[in-house]
Parts: sequence; structure tokens; C-alpha cells
Amino acid sequence: MLKQSTILHTIEAALQTGADFAELYVEQTKSNRLSMLNGKIDTAATSLDYGAGLRLFFGNRMIYAYTNDTTEQHLIQLARETAATIKGNRLHGMAPLQKAVPQSMHPIYIDPDGMAKKRKAEPLASACAAALAFDSRILQARSGFLDVTKDVLVANSEGIWAEDHRVRSRFTIEAVASSATEKQSSHFGPGGSVGFELFSQIDADAIAKKAARIALTMLDAKPCPAGRMPVVIDNGFGGVIFHEACGHGLEATAVARNASVFSDMLGKQIASPLVTAIDDGTIPNAWGSASFDDEGTPTRRNILIENGILRSYLVDRLNARKMGTDVTGNARRENYRFAPTSRMTNTFLAAGNSTPQSIIADTPYGLYAKQMGGGSVDPATGSFNFAVLEAYLIRNGEICEPLRGATLIGKGHEVLLQIDRVGNNLKRAQGMCGSSSGSIPTDVGQPMIRVQEMTVGGREQRK
Amino acid sequence: MNETEFEKMLMEKALAAGFLDCEIYYQKSRTFGVTILEGEVSDYENSDVQGVCFRGTYADTTGYAYTERLTAHDVDWLIQEAMENAMLLSSEEREILFPPEDSYPLVYTENPSLERLTPEEKIHAAKKMEIAALHGAKEIVSMDYCRLSTVCSETAIVNSYGLCLHHRKNHMLAYVCAIAKDGSDIKTGSHFWKGNRFADFDPIATGKKAAEIAASRLGAKSIPAGNYAAILDGNVMADLLRTFCGIFFAENVQKGFSLLANKTGKKIAAPLVTIEDLPLLENGYASAPFDSEGVACRNKAVIKDGVLQTLLYNRKTAAKDGVASTGNGFKPSVYAPVQTSVTNFYLQRGTVSQTQLLEDMWEGLLIMDITGLHAGANAVSGDFSLSAEGLWIAEGKPSYPVEQITISDNFYTLLEKISAIGNDLYVTPSGVGAPSVYLPTLAVSGQEA
Repeated sequence: MLKQSTILHTIEAALQTGADFAELYVEQTKSNRLSMLNGKIDTAATSLDYGAGLRLFFGNRMIYAYTNDTTEQHLIQLARETAATIKGNRLHGMAPLQKAVPQSMHPIYIDPDGMAKKRKAEPLASACAAALAFDSRILQARSGFLDVTKDVLVANSEGIWAEDHRVRSRFTIEAVASSATEKQSSHFGPGGSVGFELFSQIDADAIAKKAARIALTMLDAKPCPAGRMPVVIDNGFGGVIFHEACGHGLEATAVARNASVFSDMLGKQIASPLVTAIDDGTIPNAWGSASFDDEGTPTRRNILIENGILRSYLVDRLNARKMGTDVTGNARRENYRFAPTSRMTNTFLAAGNSTPQSIIADTPYGLYAKQMGGGSVDPATGSFNFAVLEAYLIRNGEICEPLRGATLIGKGHEVLLQIDRVGNNLKRAQGMCGSSSGSIPTDVGQPMIRVQEMTVGGREQRK
Repeated sequence: MNETEFEKMLMEKALAAGFLDCEIYYQKSRTFGVTILEGEVSDYENSDVQGVCFRGTYADTTGYAYTERLTAHDVDWLIQEAMENAMLLSSEEREILFPPEDSYPLVYTENPSLERLTPEEKIHAAKKMEIAALHGAKEIVSMDYCRLSTVCSETAIVNSYGLCLHHRKNHMLAYVCAIAKDGSDIKTGSHFWKGNRFADFDPIATGKKAAEIAASRLGAKSIPAGNYAAILDGNVMADLLRTFCGIFFAENVQKGFSLLANKTGKKIAAPLVTIEDLPLLENGYASAPFDSEGVACRNKAVIKDGVLQTLLYNRKTAAKDGVASTGNGFKPSVYAPVQTSVTNFYLQRGTVSQTQLLEDMWEGLLIMDITGLHAGANAVSGDFSLSAEGLWIAEGKPSYPVEQITISDNFYTLLEKISAIGNDLYVTPSGVGAPSVYLPTLAVSGQEA
């Protein structure tokens, strides 16, 4: 994307400020967004993001500058201007650039950016129709398709020069069920590091019908009872619980400055022995995968928790310095406007031995959280919260009436220890994760699990 | 190529390529940011970015495309993409471009003196804020975050009917979050300051406030699930209002995503509720002289004395209802198509102090903080169920801090339930403001009864 001489001159000029490390990141991203309501496209937008980010380290201190103007002259001027307030006291040399060729781990079969936009609208129309036809109370169906083609270049003063071509596609569907006085909606958003072939890997119409079914179920559902009770969380997007309750707390961003409840816990028991958790940025064509992370480190599979014992954090280059440890291939950023930091890629709880049927059958009373919504966490305190989009009451080991408006709250380090069943049905699902380096695609995942007791929020007082 | 040359070439080529008319929306911003950790600059950020969003009428509808790279090649790419996008849309999505209005209001949103501050002055202020937070309460053990940033942005809208608008604004945002600890009990507390008069920024008070909030949360416990009388602090009410403001957008009503269809002129809230959209507010966080379509902004009440006065319109949704745009046609970001947004959106203050409200309530909850709004709130149904923290109020006074509870209700019902409003006001960084409100009953989940 940039000439080798421009890369070299910019990094060399950046080192002149006395920085002991300099990195240049250049990005070109084309995105296409289509959104359809009840069969008619109401949004069709295309954007080209283009810019560069220059990052300098002075020991544990970091400077980050970014711009759309990637001329050598402007980049060098920016480096000098930005470094004016922090000066290193010694000059560091530049290692020769070694270009790494990415392995094609995530092959793309139908390039979504190159194809006719009209063709992309076809599965959207079909999905809208499938949701609307499901029941006369489904009055709105919104479908969408997003494709992103991102070319990145990362080069640094240690000689790393990595280029990556990342293609991602995602289908979204939302169904809204209406009665005379109420509306309930349900949505799904499957995607991957894939092209338009996504639609041959998923059954978009079936997903649309499933969204319609859940919206209808929730329309008739009673308000969730409030209180503490056992909670069974189903597989797939249920993994958001681990993502929030623990994953964010394992990011070096929080750990390095002692702002995580999991700081200084390596080698210690932080979860039930049934829990093994993995972050894997190498899974072929997964939503959160890439060949390199955004610092040019090859992605890898990291075991975070093994049988309840904390084995690894997620570590980026700057925090690796602060913590005196190695990078883990988890440095990520939304785009050139953000300095990269440690983030999750595809993070999931490994499968256990219990069958889903036995987990339900063993639960005399509790909440069955079948579809989770999003959530958030304060890593410093571990306090998290989630919305449950589809929930049922479990009574005498059987799934009973649907419940709506359920929320789960708790503290991550407490909940991890209270997982007493782990199912054998691991599944991943896609989400967007927002944090200090922006909004990035991540997979969450888990088999069905049971938490002994959690605080369930709802509008109904338990009788 | 500079932006002026780019715009000129883009407009000429677009019209030649068959666009009936077109508009160029240009935005440029410069940011500075510094994060302080343990008295040192831990990171420092500097940027200049620009982008051009094109829209034009083609095939009887409106096509959009956006670029951040301004080369001759990108001119052709933009035109091609916008054409292809237009061809996908139905003609009801057409946005009518128009000549300039007769006059536009003047709104004060830029303070040139902020641009003259040196990085050293800003770093110094940020360090003072961190020290004040660290020493703001004896329970503070470390900092979660201490950051100061300044943003200066410039927006221009030019179209082929002679519209040519230009607007600049700047602000400083200081944000601090402190960690308090007592044994194994850990709490965070944060506070921010936003504005463009540096002289008004008191870094010591800002830091101290964050520390006090963190310390005041220590020793919290859950309470039994039940229905309680509750007062929502201004920041909680403002967060709810921000999350649910979309119910007032005509676009959501027209598309069936709001329950306010045919409610204009009717009572939808308690008589003491008045909500206004105030784009012309001097120094408001979201003040603007014109919206992203070039429509002049004006102040208006959305709910007055409990009665819905108007929905919020952009030009397209206004045309559908046969009314004039309310000047709320904003883009969520520079690359996105025009949608609808509130500006400075305030629930009007009442006359009683929060202290008086607590005394009037006598026993119940003061909800100080909520989280989980992006997931636990259903923008269509109005239902919400959110993790909350606050204070237990006994005999009209704070008794002990409360945590690990959720509060659940419905926003439409909540508007009708408000039975008293405080004279305080909290404004979020995005410009949504609210005082404390008193709810006679609120569903709370917590520990077993």
C-alpha cells in the first residue's frame, strides 16, 4: 500500500525523536452496507476508510498519531510534532524490514466487494419474506448484509513487515412481533471471515423464521421473576457471559495496570475445575480470525484457563513490556484511528461431558437462558450484566413457560467458580466487541452451562 | 489534491455522469488526547482526519458513498458506488436536495482560545486531575483511567443548488475514573468535564468528585427483590432518555418501531413532564446551527406538560407526514446516510432539591448508576432491565450503598409514573439532560427475600 522507501523513511524519522520503538500501520477498508425493511432496501451505503497510524514507544510510554494524509512528508512531520512533548534520551537503530507473507488461512471464494450489489439484495429479500410469512403478527422484518474488505500493512523498527487482506461478511435479521399493545423483537447476526459464500454456509431463511418464532414467543411471555436462582445458559451466544465476566478482565490493558480482578492470578484457581477457556485467532474463516494481529504478530491459539487454573492473559506489545511477558497475538484495533491493544479474537469455553438434556433434567427450579443478548462489564470490579432475549422457567427438570425481560447480573470471578455443569455441545456465535481500541469483530462461544446461583432481574416478584 | 479541488471535480463529474443534483458533506477534525498514569504521560495522541460523503439524485432516488482518500481516482469510484447504491433503493427513499434557507441561526460552539492551549498546559491539567482523584478519598488505591482530550471539527455542506454552509466547533473532554478498595471490596467512580472554556475547568474538583463517588460505593450490599419507591438520579434518567429518545423519531413511528403513532397532541406522560430539544443552547454539548441536511435548527418542546407536541423529523420523514422538517436530520457519523437525532435533549427541571425528594420519599432507593443499556433496553417495546447501584434511603436520608440489583420497567410507563422532578440537572457528554425523578414504584431484583 505504501512504497518500502516511505515506510522505511517514516520509521527512521520517528526513531530520530529518541523513541525506542516505532510502528507504522496503514489501512484501506471498503465497506458495503445494505439494509432492507419488509422487502424494500432503505439503506445502501459504501465507504472507503483510508489512513495511517504511527506509534512510538518511549519505555512504557506511548505516542500515537493518525492521519489520512499518507505522504512521506506529512507522516514524518506528524511524528516529529507528536513527539515534541516526550523526548527519548538515546537514539535507537532500525532493524532491516523482513516482509512476511501471510498464509492463506482464511480463503475467500466469492469476493463481496467485487460483485454486483443487486445480487447481494436477493437473500435479504428472501429472509424478510420468510420472517413476515411466519405469522401474521410479524409486522416488521429487517434484514441486512455488511461486507468489509480491509487491507492492512504493519511495519516496525524491529523489522516486522506484515500485510494482511481481511474480508468479512455478516448477515443480520430482526423480526418484530406486534400485538395490540406490545412489540417484541428478536435478532440474529451470523458472519465470518468469508465472502458472499456465507449464504451457502447458513440458511438465512431458517434464521429469519427462528427470529420470528422467538419474537412471537416473547410477545406471549410473562415477565421474568426476580431473585437468585440457578441459571442454565445455552450454547453459542451464551458465551457472551464468559466474554464479559472473564475475557475483558484477562486483557493486558486492564491487567498491566492492576485494574482487573484477575491481576496477579496466573497459576491460581479462578474458575470451577470444569472450566477450560480458549482464545483462538487462527480458526479458519472465523469472524474474529486474522493471519496477523494489528501489530504484525501471527495470531495463535491461547489457552486462558485450563481446568479452572488461569494460564494466560491476552497480551499486546506495550503491555508485554509493562508485564515483562510475551505477546500473544491479540493486539487489535477497529481501524487506524485507534492504537492497538490486547483484545479477544474467538473466545470460548471448551466442551465438557454433560448432555444438555441431563443438565436441564438435573435442575429442579431455575432460569433457562436460551438466547443471550449483549452485556457489559467493569473489569476493575468484575461486575457484569447481560440481557436474556429468550428465556424459560425450569421447573422439576423441565423447560416450562417463556419469560421476558430477564437480565443476569453478577461478578465475573464469583460466577466462574459457580459453574457446576458444562455441556458437550460447543458452538460459537458472532458479535461486535467495544472497548478502548474501538469496535471489533469477535466470536463468543460455549456449550450449555449451568451456574449454581445468579441474580436474575425481572419485573415480576417471585411467588 | 486538496479538498476544494476534490469537491469541484466531484460535483462536475457527478452531474456530467447523470446525477440530477448532488451534495458534498465534508468533515475535518483535529484531536489531541493524553492519558496520565501515576503522574506520567502513559499515552499521547494526535490526529488530523477528513472525509467526504457524497449524495445525489439518480434514478429517481438518492445514492450515497463516502471516502477518506481524496484522489482523482476516488472521484470516479465515489460516483460509481453512489450510482449503484441509488439503483438499489426504492424511490420512496429519495431525499430532496434544496437551495439554502433565507437565514440560519448563530450558535456559539467554538472558542478559539481553546486552540491556543499548549500540549504542556493540557498535560499539566490532566496530571492535577489525577492527583486530586488519588487523594480525593482515603480509600482510593489506584486509577482506572485519567484522560484529557480536545477535538476541533469543521463541517461543510455544499450542493448543486447553491447551498454552502460551514460550521466549526471545539471542546475539551476530561474524564477520570478512580478505584477504591476496602479489603476485597473494590469499586470504581468516574466523573467528567466537557466544555470549551478552559477557565471553567476545575481539574481538582473533577478528580475529587470521581474519588468521592468510588469511595461512597464501598460496603454496598444487595437488597431483597421487591417493588420499591425510587428516585432516579439525573444521570440515570438522562441515560434512559438518551437510550429511548428514538421513540420520538418520525422515522421509527412511520416504520412501526415506536409506539407513538397517532399520539401527537395526546397525553403520553405525567403532567409535570416537559421535554425539549434545544439545538440553539449556547455552549450546549450538541448545539448546531443546521442539521446534516442543511436545515436550520430551532428549539422546540417535544412533550409539554405531559402532551406530545411533535415528533422529530428530517426532510424525508417530514415529507411523508406532510409537515416541515424539525431540523433533526443528523448523520450518526460522517459516512452514514442522514437519519434522525436529538441535539441538546432535556427533561425540564422541577422546583424541589434532590434532598427534599429523598425526604418526601422517606424510605426507598436512590438509583445512582445503571449499566447494560446497550443490551438490557428494548428500544421498540420500551422495556428495560438493567444492572443498578445506589443508596438505600431510610427516614429520608442515605443509609447504606446498594449493589448487585437490577431495576426493570418500561420507558413509556415510566414517563407516566413520574410523580416529582428535582431542580438538579445532569447532562451526558452527548447532550442529553435530566434532573432527578421520583417514581412511586420500581421493580427491583436482588438477593433472595
